[in-house]
Amino acid sequence: MKDVRKLTVALFVLVAAVALVACGGGDDSTTGTAGEESQAVRGKFAAVADAPAAASKVTGEAELERTNGGTTVSISVSGLEPKTPYIAHLHTGGCGQAEPGGPHFQFQKGGSEEPPNEIHLRFTSDAAGEGEATASSKREVPPGEAGSVVLHVDESHHEMTSYGAHESETVFVHEGVDHSKEGKGHEGEPQHAHSDKIACAELEGMAATEDDPQAAGDVPTIVVRDGEPVDGIAELEYSAGDEIRFRVTSDAAEEIHVHGYDLAKDVPAGGTVEFAFPADLEGIYEAELEQLGIQIAELRVNP
Amino acid sequence: MNYLPLAHALSAREDLPVPAWLFAWGASIVLIVSFFALAAGWRSPRFEQRHERPLGAGLSRALLGLPAQIVCGLLGVFLLGVAIYAGLEGTVAPDRNFALTFLFVTCWLGFPFFSAILGDVFRPFNPWRAIGRAAGAGFQAIAGQRPAHLAYPERLGRWPAAIGLLAVVWLEVIYGSGGVVLEPETAAVAALVYSVYTLAMMAAFGVEEWCDRGEVFSVYFGMFGRLGIFGTRDGRLERRRPFSAATGWATVPGSAAVVIASIATTSFDGASEGAIQDPIETVYEWLADAGIGLTASLRLSETLFMLLCFAAVALVYTLGVRGMRTVPGAPSLSTLRAGFAHTLIPIALAYLVAHYFSLFVFQEQAQFTYLLSDPLGTGADLFGTAGAGVDYNVISANTIWYVQVASLVVGHVMGLMLAHDRALVYWSDYRKATASQYWMLAVMVAFTCFGLYLLSVANG
Repeated sequence: MKDVRKLTVALFVLVAAVALVACGGGDDSTTGTAGEESQAVRGKFAAVADAPAAASKVTGEAELERTNGGTTVSISVSGLEPKTPYIAHLHTGGCGQAEPGGPHFQFQKGGSEEPPNEIHLRFTSDAAGEGEATASSKREVPPGEAGSVVLHVDESHHEMTSYGAHESETVFVHEGVDHSKEGKGHEGEPQHAHSDKIACAELEGMAATEDDPQAAGDVPTIVVRDGEPVDGIAELEYSAGDEIRFRVTSDAAEEIHVHGYDLAKDVPAGGTVEFAFPADLEGIYEAELEQLGIQIAELRVNP
Repeated sequence: MNYLPLAHALSAREDLPVPAWLFAWGASIVLIVSFFALAAGWRSPRFEQRHERPLGAGLSRALLGLPAQIVCGLLGVFLLGVAIYAGLEGTVAPDRNFALTFLFVTCWLGFPFFSAILGDVFRPFNPWRAIGRAAGAGFQAIAGQRPAHLAYPERLGRWPAAIGLLAVVWLEVIYGSGGVVLEPETAAVAALVYSVYTLAMMAAFGVEEWCDRGEVFSVYFGMFGRLGIFGTRDGRLERRRPFSAATGWATVPGSAAVVIASIATTSFDGASEGAIQDPIETVYEWLADAGIGLTASLRLSETLFMLLCFAAVALVYTLGVRGMRTVPGAPSLSTLRAGFAHTLIPIALAYLVAHYFSLFVFQEQAQFTYLLSDPLGTGADLFGTAGAGVDYNVISANTIWYVQVASLVVGHVMGLMLAHDRALVYWSDYRKATASQYWMLAVMVAFTCFGLYLLSVANG
């Protein structure tokens, strides 16, 4: 009977080991892409959801680099109106939010709305509708807070004064700005003066959205750039009977297909679509870019 | 990672991992049942003697007579032809083409499931056997003598089938890696190549000989058919005790490799998206860094891990066999190795049910609606069912979980029963037979708990 006792012990050890492995394996659910070694974050400009039609031609890139405790943001944009002053701000939120980018990034929250407390990039496009700008700060933007860079026509241009924290390429007085585009805001109030948002470049916006679901109004947004979800395949979990609700923002026109539920919606280039439907099928279902066949989200519907 | 095993390409849905509480219940029941089995084991073999009851002669004639053989054979050849034609001429979309679902779900999963209940149902429909027999009959009619065959090398046994099994799963699970999808055309070409190879082997060694040893599908489906309740002998249909025919299955060398390959490939398919996903990616990155192409790297990495799964399952079984050898009065190692191989068939079946039951239930809805009416994906509507879709609510996630865990527990019990029975043949002393079964019990518990673990690990 000694054997039986030995066996009992052995079996319990085995089962305990298996259970441990299973539990350990359970939280291994990250599907992020390979980590980037560099400290630079890049994003491509795409027109924001309700931008004027001309904005759909806007392309370009924004880069944010953290070096030795400082931050450098540079942008390079083309497809703009020629010889027009523009301004871009670093925002805390992602491009897919209802108000693209959310609030301006501020080193000291609630402080000054001008550099050096915020990061602004001012430039005037050249005759070909291209422009570049760089802004540096001696302080480091905390990781995850550099949501996006949002570009506007600079309505306050003629009031411009010199700011220490940015370099403007050209100082150019341009009187012929098309004011018909200006819908809201009054000159002299910086937050509203440049509210004519044209384009947005996603930097760390999705990460910020995940940390703070309130910022995105509780609706997860999947940002697609260059045919891939920027933050890897989004894992969305629901219970049967919940409402499944998420948004997809894409830099290129695509069809978003939710398998199993068999729902499809078109998203225009630089636009956003929202899905909202009841979670009435249990199991794991994919959402993908139908034309490219790339998975962007995994929907888990638990019983 | 662009990992696209076929099930992904065909079905829009995946199973949720079994929740922790159900995993714990499953594992506990396995343990309790195992100890109960040790205590309550019977003292003389029950499955080893034949217990067949012949069925009515009229029924046997109707189901097994020449007309039935011809009809079934023609049906098998016709369906293989449709699948190959659909693969070559139909749409490239895997989920809209008859070929992939028919070959890899309806047949590859359907025959094991139904054979395990009914007996070897593939044999009458086997298209290659039908062609081979027709060719043999034609030869005899013209030449006036039976075709002469080479002697099959006995030592080769069922190894060709075991290797073929790995190859089929490789095509199904690993080929579609690194952004490449297994296209219907590829599957059709593979089926053609396999047909040529099989007919050549049948010509060389004889139709029935090759079906029993080397023909992957005959051997694999036939293995599960040994669990079923109907069999044939001397052209007569008979009813037999469930599982009893399994006792005579592993007499051919290489049989253990077939059942081990079955468990290993199912494990690999389950683990590659969960438990061993990270190691696969690590090796993939090494290979890609070494300058091998991305698709080739991913395939190589996965192939390596599939072979490792095979080695691991074989190792666990070998350890159990070596353990039994230490019990006084044990037969030789090779006798034991072959002698207990059939006890793993229920485990292999349980793995299949646990991993593919839901895919089968959902995908067969597609098979019998739009894939039947529109086999080429060209917009045809032969039977008026082309517009139908798959209802993912026919079974709930809870039902799937219970079926998964229950199949593993039942497979475990069946395996233990067969092993206990076989031990009573080798050790006439009941006590020694029971002592030997501590080892097989450990093997079975390892497989069953590993199976539960695979189900409970989050995939994706």
